[in-house]
Amino acid sequence: MISHRDSNAQRISALDERAEGLGLKRGMGIADARAMHPAIDVVEADPEADRRLLEGLADWCDRYTPLVAIDGEDGLFLDVTGCTHLFGGERAMLDDMLGRFFHQGFDVRAGMAATPGAAWAAARFCGDRIVDGGDEETLLAPLPLAALRIAPEIRASLESVGLRTAGAVMAAPRAPLARRFGTTLLLRLDQALGRLDEAVSPRLPVAPLSVERHLAEPIVLSDDIERLVSLLAVTLKADLERRGEGARALALLLFRVDGAVSRVSVGTSRPLRDPTLIRRLFHERLTALEQDIDAGFGFDLVRLSVLSVAAFDMRQADLAGEINDDEADIAMFADRVRARLGEGAVLRPIAVESHLPERAVAIVPFAETPRRRAPPRKPERETPRMTIYPPERPIRLFRSPEPIEVPATEIPEGPPMNFRWRRALYRVARAEGPERIAAEWWRRLPGEEEAPIRDYYRIEDSEGRRYWLYRQGFYGASQAAPRWFLHGVFA
Amino acid sequence: MAITAVARDTVFALRRQIAKIEGTLPERLEAPAATPVDPRATTLTLVRRGLAVAPDDAFLRTGIERLDAALGGGLPKAALSEIHGTETRDAGAVAGLALSLAGLVLRQGRPLPVLWIGTCDIFHEAGFPYAGGLRGVFGIEPELMLFSETPRLQDALWIAEEAARMTAFAAVVLELRGNPKGLDLTATRRLHARAQDAGRPVLLLRQAGEAEPTAAPVRLIASAAPAASRETIAGPLAGSIGRPAFTVTIGKSRTALPGQFTLEWNPDEHAFAERSPPQGRAENPVAVVPASGRRADSAAAAGSVLAFPSTGSPSAGDQPSRQQRPAHIGPRRAG
Repeated sequence: MISHRDSNAQRISALDERAEGLGLKRGMGIADARAMHPAIDVVEADPEADRRLLEGLADWCDRYTPLVAIDGEDGLFLDVTGCTHLFGGERAMLDDMLGRFFHQGFDVRAGMAATPGAAWAAARFCGDRIVDGGDEETLLAPLPLAALRIAPEIRASLESVGLRTAGAVMAAPRAPLARRFGTTLLLRLDQALGRLDEAVSPRLPVAPLSVERHLAEPIVLSDDIERLVSLLAVTLKADLERRGEGARALALLLFRVDGAVSRVSVGTSRPLRDPTLIRRLFHERLTALEQDIDAGFGFDLVRLSVLSVAAFDMRQADLAGEINDDEADIAMFADRVRARLGEGAVLRPIAVESHLPERAVAIVPFAETPRRRAPPRKPERETPRMTIYPPERPIRLFRSPEPIEVPATEIPEGPPMNFRWRRALYRVARAEGPERIAAEWWRRLPGEEEAPIRDYYRIEDSEGRRYWLYRQGFYGASQAAPRWFLHGVFA
Repeated sequence: MAITAVARDTVFALRRQIAKIEGTLPERLEAPAATPVDPRATTLTLVRRGLAVAPDDAFLRTGIERLDAALGGGLPKAALSEIHGTETRDAGAVAGLALSLAGLVLRQGRPLPVLWIGTCDIFHEAGFPYAGGLRGVFGIEPELMLFSETPRLQDALWIAEEAARMTAFAAVVLELRGNPKGLDLTATRRLHARAQDAGRPVLLLRQAGEAEPTAAPVRLIASAAPAASRETIAGPLAGSIGRPAFTVTIGKSRTALPGQFTLEWNPDEHAFAERSPPQGRAENPVAVVPASGRRADSAAAAGSVLAFPSTGSPSAGDQPSRQQRPAHIGPRRAG
């Protein structure tokens, strides 16, 4: 028996058949139940775990249809339109599903109907029933009002006026019903009867293309999985070619015999359709995930889905029949590294229009076409030869400027004579500067305080190493002494 | 004796194959300098003609004749090369040398990307390579740089191995810190073999690491050197910091004796220049010329005389005796 806390009292939220046999009910107080039967076993409810279990089941139901939605705390909607023939008809599919759930140890009630509302009512109030299109009314008529998916308050007020079954509500005139009980009641009724369309929003976006293979003998080895991936990718290639597209994101779903589903996805930086390349990407991903994927007793269904597609442009080979495409090589290399080590494993710098050194270069994950941030230049005007050289910038920049101790400067606003960085003392032999870099006022939010001005110096220490330091603030401007930072290293 | 052209070619091919298997640089096969080269001696011309073709392409010339000669033609292009920095604070100089070599590679070939792989700890400790500073000094466009950062050494090595076998990168730079256990002779050999196959340079930067056995044919030790002043029309500008300069020591090379060079990178021409050596020699603390024996008030020699203890009375005529004069200093310096 499972208890939960509801409005300051422990109540029964779920109970098994034996507890039901003792005369206990859902919603009863735990204290009452204990008074009746002191020997009952009470467990605290764990909604999070229930939710995870339901999501796991929803993942598993992916094998029947890609359109799976979670309904409340204890239900799943499966949109099986167009899927039933793959399993030998509606009856066979439902039997297969119930049989598999039974063997996994779940007590499942299922109903199948042309509308989600009718299917919901069939599952909850009839059990294992398939309702043909048009029969919704006969199904709903004898059922209690709860089968209409309406709020308890509306139900109570309907019952108070003597409307106790769905059939009674259907027979009543609509206008007074709507006026008295709100439009929700009629909306639910119409949805259940198929007069209005009801959208079931699936948990996951539907993949444009999917190929799958059911296996009589479950597979365990990752080599087998990879071989299967390349077989599936060959099938996929034909579909992609027909559509003139390539895959930008792929997902591999591995359905384990006992119901667990593993999802392995890879992204590509350019549209892809070559089976060998797809296999190589999944090879890296599977190698990286070796610890996380537990094959258990094996996988009996493997599905390869294309999550997103992009137009695929063909390249002409040269006369020798070779396509020597360095960019493609690099894109493939980056994809493989990222499949194995995560999105941030290959980075590329992008110049940003900013004079703050840490903002001037943005490090972004590698992508095939870098976004142009700078506005395109006017082609007709010849740019004059640059005579003012930009100030020298360091070749290494610290992620966050490192604070240094500066005991003394020669002149108040001048470079330091020596400084202490990481506990070592450096004597300044030569210095160039200052180069004043102010904060970008146009990026400042209204209430924000203005960032202090930095004066940068190029410093060479007594051993010839060159550093980039800055002073934040001014001497004498306030009580606190200005702080010094080391920001970068020169060649 | 008459050797047909076909036989000659066979011998060339075999020699080259042997050289590749052994990992020897082709220069080693050249005839010793002492042997007089007789154009009619067939075997010798064979060797020279056969190998004259390869080196031009196989080496990255630094542009400094002394260094190129010491390395036997330049830095091998299709190989792993190690650049060491003795301390982490030398990271700027090490990175600068690697980038200037990458700049040379880019100048000679097509504009292919340069991949810079590093572990998180070195990027945290020595700073992330800053693409904004590369165009002005090394002529490398920021679009040509790719970075890869991994927390684990094994992952960094894996990326490097994968990248080293590709021809789509102009150069691969792998930067590591200290002496990690995973980077042993086998790991460097794998990198070297891949670099040889792909024909692209792989630069292994090792910050604050001890010299270890490595498969790389060349190991350079880089540290910062004081920069010269900026040149203006009115002469050098006092107190200014000019072009980047490095002190490069050849730590290991199959063809060269150890030597030290002070290189200066010219950001305008994207080429190396060598700093004249006397600057370094002036600071020799050992007294080369012994105190005069004639005058009474002879000034004491600066520093302690360790290497060349005084042996009795100096020889006549103010000139130091043979034993007192260090062998490597010419007579001009003494006088």
